[in-house]
Amino acid sequence: MAASIRSMSLTVCRAARVAYRASYSVTRSLSTGACLRTESNPAEGSWGFIESTEEFRFVERLIPPSRIPTPPKHDGPVPSGWIPASVTPPSLPYMIRRSRMHNVPVYSDIKHGNQHSTLLRKVEGDIWALNKDVKEFLLGLTGKEPPTQVNEVTGTIRIKGQFDKELKDWLLKKGF
Amino acid sequence: MSLTKTTAGKTIDIVKNLPRITLANLRPNPGAKKDEKHRGRGMHGGNKSGRGHKGERQRGNRPRLGFEGGQTPFYLIVPKYGYNANHSRRPQYPPLSLRRLQYLIDLGRVDPMQPIDLTQLVNCRGVAIQPLKRDYGIQLIDEGADIFSAKVNLEVQVASEKAIAAVERNGGVITTSYYDPRSLQILIKPVPFLMSGDPIPKRLLPGEDLLPYYTDASNRGYLADPDKVQAARLGLAKKYGYTIPDITREIFFEMLVQRKDPRQIFFGLSPGWVVNMADKKILKPTDDKVLQYYGNMKSL
Repeated sequence: MAASIRSMSLTVCRAARVAYRASYSVTRSLSTGACLRTESNPAEGSWGFIESTEEFRFVERLIPPSRIPTPPKHDGPVPSGWIPASVTPPSLPYMIRRSRMHNVPVYSDIKHGNQHSTLLRKVEGDIWALNKDVKEFLLGLTGKEPPTQVNEVTGTIRIKGQFDKELKDWLLKKGF
Repeated sequence: MSLTKTTAGKTIDIVKNLPRITLANLRPNPGAKKDEKHRGRGMHGGNKSGRGHKGERQRGNRPRLGFEGGQTPFYLIVPKYGYNANHSRRPQYPPLSLRRLQYLIDLGRVDPMQPIDLTQLVNCRGVAIQPLKRDYGIQLIDEGADIFSAKVNLEVQVASEKAIAAVERNGGVITTSYYDPRSLQILIKPVPFLMSGDPIPKRLLPGEDLLPYYTDASNRGYLADPDKVQAARLGLAKKYGYTIPDITREIFFEMLVQRKDPRQIFFGLSPGWVVNMADKKILKPTDDKVLQYYGNMKSL
């Protein structure tokens, strides 16, 4: 069974190799002044295969896209709960961009199994004003002000504690 | 508002007037660095240097892990049993929740107007499959069955009953099909395979362990009897209490009914064909024996 399979695939490969050799020898025999002529199959099936371009659209469907697609416009709420960024950015001294995949850039982190922190990335503008607002919001939520670390260079705020869901909802309400 | 009044402006003003930052000007925050204890160098790093008093502990001659002083250790006294026998050869199916599928459709990463199979899901980075780690495909789980509301033609490898019900309730079609590891690798990464110039292989049929699963209509197996599948659809609708929408009158009925042949890996491309990516052509064999080996499939 295996031998027959190998011989089948060899017939196809041999046919392809013969076709290549034939085309190469033909171009050699032409005069040097003649332009390069691509060898098309003289008779369909004489090399053991036929060429076709009709089904190539199915191959094009298999190629992955190279860019992340922009999400389509939805009217009304979306079943998965994703909310797009508002068209006009809110009039605040800071701006929080969406991530590459069009989501709010709030991430939760755990170190050593018990150290929870929340990271708020992609902050532009007055980061200290955002820091103040975040502390106020979390004071109202939990009753105590969580320690935060502001990094002006990278535009991130790291908050002690796990508040990713709450912060995401709060930022979505603001319109970021 | 002038630049110096904003926060960024204040920082820049301060930094501009300070001397240049060098190693001589930098210092860690107080309490950030704690001095390491150098063993054997007096006071509390010295004396016995944290090794204890005499015996195997101080002399570094303790027996191997698990030794219990001569008593038959725990790991030998407990008998073996095949709970985890061949665990590394068992097929694994990374999960795909309906919630994630709905999220991918909402963000436009996967197109519900085309049949959704594993190639489409991997292309949009919706799932990550590692065929070399004994992944045999994906399993559809019912997390998010309540919010799922897309009409899709879905092809997965394993699906839970509630997930099947959720897909069919919205007028979609779900099939479970088997891909052997070589076909799976080609399915998830079609471009490197097509660039190699090898003929598309035919998909192997499932082995005797998985054959009962894929011939069962209640799992919507691709080898199951279509009439039994239709009966199972009606039965499931009765069980979960919904009416199956009539898809024969759909605009996308043809797309929803599209299915792969059991020996086919890609939609529209038959096994045995060689794809020429550079010239955008497909080479189809004409030899009778070759066609018989590959199953005489017309382009589907």
